[in-house]
Amino acid sequence: MNSTVVTYLSQSKELTNAISWLTKALGFDASSLVAFVIFLVACLIVVGVMSTIGGLGTYAERKISADLQMRIGPNRVGPYGILQFLADGVKMILKEDIIPSGADRFTFMLAPFLCLVGVFATLAVIPFSSGFILADLNVGIFYLVGMASLVGVGVFLGGYASNSKWSMLGGMRGASQIISYEIPATITIISIVLLAGGLSMGTLIGGQGGMPQEWYLFHNPFAFVGFFVFFIAALAETNRAPFDLPEAESELVSGYHTEYSGMRFGLFALAEYIEVFVVCGVATALFLGGYKVPFDLGTGAILVEKLGMDEMLAKNIGQLLEMGAFFTKTFALYYVVIWVRWTLPRLRVDQLMTLCWKYLTPIAIFNLLGCAVWMYAFDGKSIYSLIFETAATVAGHH
Amino acid sequence: MFTNTLFLLSAALTLGGAIAVVYSQNLMHACIYLLASFFGVAGLYACIGADFLAATQLVVYAGGVVILMLFAIMLTGGTGNNINRYGLEKIAAMGNKKTYFFAGITAILASLIVLKIIANVLKDQSTTAVITANAPTVERIGTLLATDHILAFEISSVMLLGALIGAAVISRPRKERHD
Amino acid sequence: MINLGSYLGISFALFICGILVMIARKNIIAILLGIELILNASALNFAAYTKFSNNNLDGHILSLFIIVTAAAEAAVGLGIVIRFFQLRESIHIDDAASLQN
Repeated sequence: MNSTVVTYLSQSKELTNAISWLTKALGFDASSLVAFVIFLVACLIVVGVMSTIGGLGTYAERKISADLQMRIGPNRVGPYGILQFLADGVKMILKEDIIPSGADRFTFMLAPFLCLVGVFATLAVIPFSSGFILADLNVGIFYLVGMASLVGVGVFLGGYASNSKWSMLGGMRGASQIISYEIPATITIISIVLLAGGLSMGTLIGGQGGMPQEWYLFHNPFAFVGFFVFFIAALAETNRAPFDLPEAESELVSGYHTEYSGMRFGLFALAEYIEVFVVCGVATALFLGGYKVPFDLGTGAILVEKLGMDEMLAKNIGQLLEMGAFFTKTFALYYVVIWVRWTLPRLRVDQLMTLCWKYLTPIAIFNLLGCAVWMYAFDGKSIYSLIFETAATVAGHH
Repeated sequence: MFTNTLFLLSAALTLGGAIAVVYSQNLMHACIYLLASFFGVAGLYACIGADFLAATQLVVYAGGVVILMLFAIMLTGGTGNNINRYGLEKIAAMGNKKTYFFAGITAILASLIVLKIIANVLKDQSTTAVITANAPTVERIGTLLATDHILAFEISSVMLLGALIGAAVISRPRKERHD
Repeated sequence: MINLGSYLGISFALFICGILVMIARKNIIAILLGIELILNASALNFAAYTKFSNNNLDGHILSLFIIVTAAAEAAVGLGIVIRFFQLRESIHIDDAASLQN
């Protein structure tokens, strides 16, 4: 019922042929087996690529921070130091895995995995392109919000189980920050859902177009403000600077993962970097047009028409273009996140809560109301099309 | 086949989590097992096509209730003394054999009552209703909430507001009076 | 395998577990955990009857309201627990035996 990566691939003739051949060879209906294998392979690809992106995130962070501080940054391992993350990974795996003597062993071991599971589960609905989305659920964005909140539980448990006062304070701050900033983020998401008229990622992106004036970012003034509310709240939800109070080095050593060492610490770091990618991807999908490319290149119709290409080949090229558009926008946001981290100073705890409850939440609620009124008053048209229509009518009168 | 596997996994997670909540002697661990049980219930919802309910279960329980519970455990835990103010020894906070015995008797009684009620359904497996394929429910639930169930919807929103204010008022630290 | 009987069985087991937790524990937060289990069991029942019995979505709506009520109940309940802890330095249910302070 939901379109998935299997739905896209089953358009090709080769897969249909392979299924019928397998059905003949095995003696039972092989379509569900093939679907399972495709899902498995796609999941492995997504997890592998995302882990690499998470690893490269640490490298990008160091390189960009070095750039901002006029240093060179990592430059020893591989060309331009690009293999630094592999060296770090090897170091983390080889390190001794220490569990503090007073720690709650079960919870201590569980916490990093909860973080990682929460982040990886959200990848199932991230729309990389119109075909390559693992599952375009009906409740896509809602599911994503629910799964991402598992990270808060992981952070809190990691802090609690370590039996250390710094970890404890870090975990407490982390959990309270995550559940507080979930509110403005979710309300902003709801205002975009109002514009699109559906919760699935396909619907949310389908209402937008390839050109910037067709994005929800420029749909109306409320959505424009909403983007910044969402982005600030997302920064706080991923515990990134200037909201990295849970891991504030100057006060809390390193926050909720003070007592973690070796690969368990690595899992926390990996989860954090992948979560940054995920929230950047969600911001792209909601506000920046997601995978849409201009001139209907995504469906490949224009290639078939003008160049006389094979239909499936044109579609595949379209998918690649869409993926390129999505990743470009997402990485641009990723750069902004890192840029913000190395530019702005850290907030105090009371300033953090003031920002959330006194500014972001009322603004988000106002945006929600504003979007609803806009949809009612202007029949869901974007500001660009309104201006265009008015100009056309004015020009028509003369 | 997918759905059956998902159903079996979810059922195992739900029941395992619930039983672990009963037997765990550590409140923190019990809360984690409860989280596992909630995830299992979300899976069970997904198996019968209740996609919106499954997502709501994840958002409300995993994101809200469990973290609240963990906070409450952390803010109150650790200072249990076993003597009450009359100098008598209290029952252990996580229960002892006596409480489990009485709980067992109550559970048996309750299960007899409930089994009597649902016996007809369990005996008669040939349900007459036509079981349709799972269809998207989000739009229909939205329509129903805004038309047939609008009064309950509004009342629940007022109740949530009341709960919000009430929880804030109750747990607010009171200032000491100097007189 | 997925039929009304199995869903009712699971929900029944959840309910019994909830009752056991509620009665065997003497910690107020643990009792709240049991109440959550019981509410989940009832919500599961409504969803199962919707699927296997009549196919209109009123059961889903009822489940939604149960979830909403459970969230409100948890918030107020834990607020009361924390207030009680501030007054008595204990969250043992037997300490909550008097009506005044």
